[in-house]
Amino acid sequence: MANYYDIQDILMQDETVSTVFLHKANGAGFLDPSSEDNNVARGSVVDLPLWLAQDLVQRQILHIKLPSCFNARHEQCRPNLPLILENVLRVRKEVQADPACVDLHSKCPFYYEMGCKLVELSVDPTLGPFLLTTLQGRYKDLLCKALTATLSGNLKFLPHLTEEETRLFEAGRDSVKAFKKWRLQGPRIEKAAILGRKRNRDATPIWS
Amino acid sequence: MFGRSAALLVRELTTDDHHLRRFNYDLFDKVISEIQEHFQQVTTIMEKMQGENEDGQISSADENYNGALIHHQSILRNKRCLLAYMYHRANRLQRLRWQLGAVLPEDVKELLHPSEKEFVKSYSEALSSYMTKLDIDLAVDITPPKDPYIQVRVLNNIGEVLLGDQSTSLVRNSIHFVKRSEAETLISQGLLEEFTG
Repeated sequence: MANYYDIQDILMQDETVSTVFLHKANGAGFLDPSSEDNNVARGSVVDLPLWLAQDLVQRQILHIKLPSCFNARHEQCRPNLPLILENVLRVRKEVQADPACVDLHSKCPFYYEMGCKLVELSVDPTLGPFLLTTLQGRYKDLLCKALTATLSGNLKFLPHLTEEETRLFEAGRDSVKAFKKWRLQGPRIEKAAILGRKRNRDATPIWS
Repeated sequence: MFGRSAALLVRELTTDDHHLRRFNYDLFDKVISEIQEHFQQVTTIMEKMQGENEDGQISSADENYNGALIHHQSILRNKRCLLAYMYHRANRLQRLRWQLGAVLPEDVKELLHPSEKEFVKSYSEALSSYMTKLDIDLAVDITPPKDPYIQVRVLNNIGEVLLGDQSTSLVRNSIHFVKRSEAETLISQGLLEEFTG
């Protein structure tokens, strides 16, 4: 496992997915608060973190339901649609309308990485291409904002970005900062950041 | 359960990139006791399975097997979180050694676990002995300076300091013209600042 120590990966796997047990699991009652005998019964629906679900799916002990943020099925309202049309509707309408405006962070902070994991577990065949178009739709806007955002600027859209996008955004902004610093030839050696707090606390006015 | 406290521990690492937090003994111990609890569960389930199957064969289709598997995965997950916590803190401490030199400031030392203090000490020793062998100070700025001397302003009263071959008295707000390589550690320790006037 190359990213064994990766913080983002660890936190991403903490997101929960809704799962259905295909087999009974004895002695694991803590997963299902409704169970009475410390066992998880066959067919019970449990929300599990991804790290647990992932392994159990591979062993075919359970089945993952696609989280709602990746899915916007509309069949319920129009049940009699032909199959092709249903597929089109299934492509998550909101994102399709304008990917850049959707608040993905509130739906799932690790939208893409989690999506990729679900693709690996082959939960839904259309999910992979959908993730790609989503990122493509959002990337251009993100890049523009990252390269032009000023430090004090209006960052209203930041909370809408997923964790992965925030990292992209910060990388863009930092590179602009580094470039400006290089152009202006600022001081190269700086105080270690960890001491920052302490100095502020001890600061006395220069003319004392 | 569910590795929640372990995830909290890891989340603590993300809150600020540069500052170290105090070592979270409570949460750390809580995760370890959670692991022990899972381990107990695994052993009881295993014993039960051994008892049920006379020949000692364990098949993966067993219902008990699934339960044991869930506990086992939980142990692995908790272990991963604990290791990641230690690993990232150790990485930060390594970086500090390069920035601040061999001696850590007291207020940083307070935040560390005894084993981390030990780690800093041995890492620092290893690095210093390597640098003495090479006879190069590797901690200085990689980019060669245009001028070997720089002007620095003193930010705090430091007193007599041995710079080069003579002792200099560094009084607050005085400006000195010193060798860049000597000033660098003092600047990153926050005692001087580069004077660009």
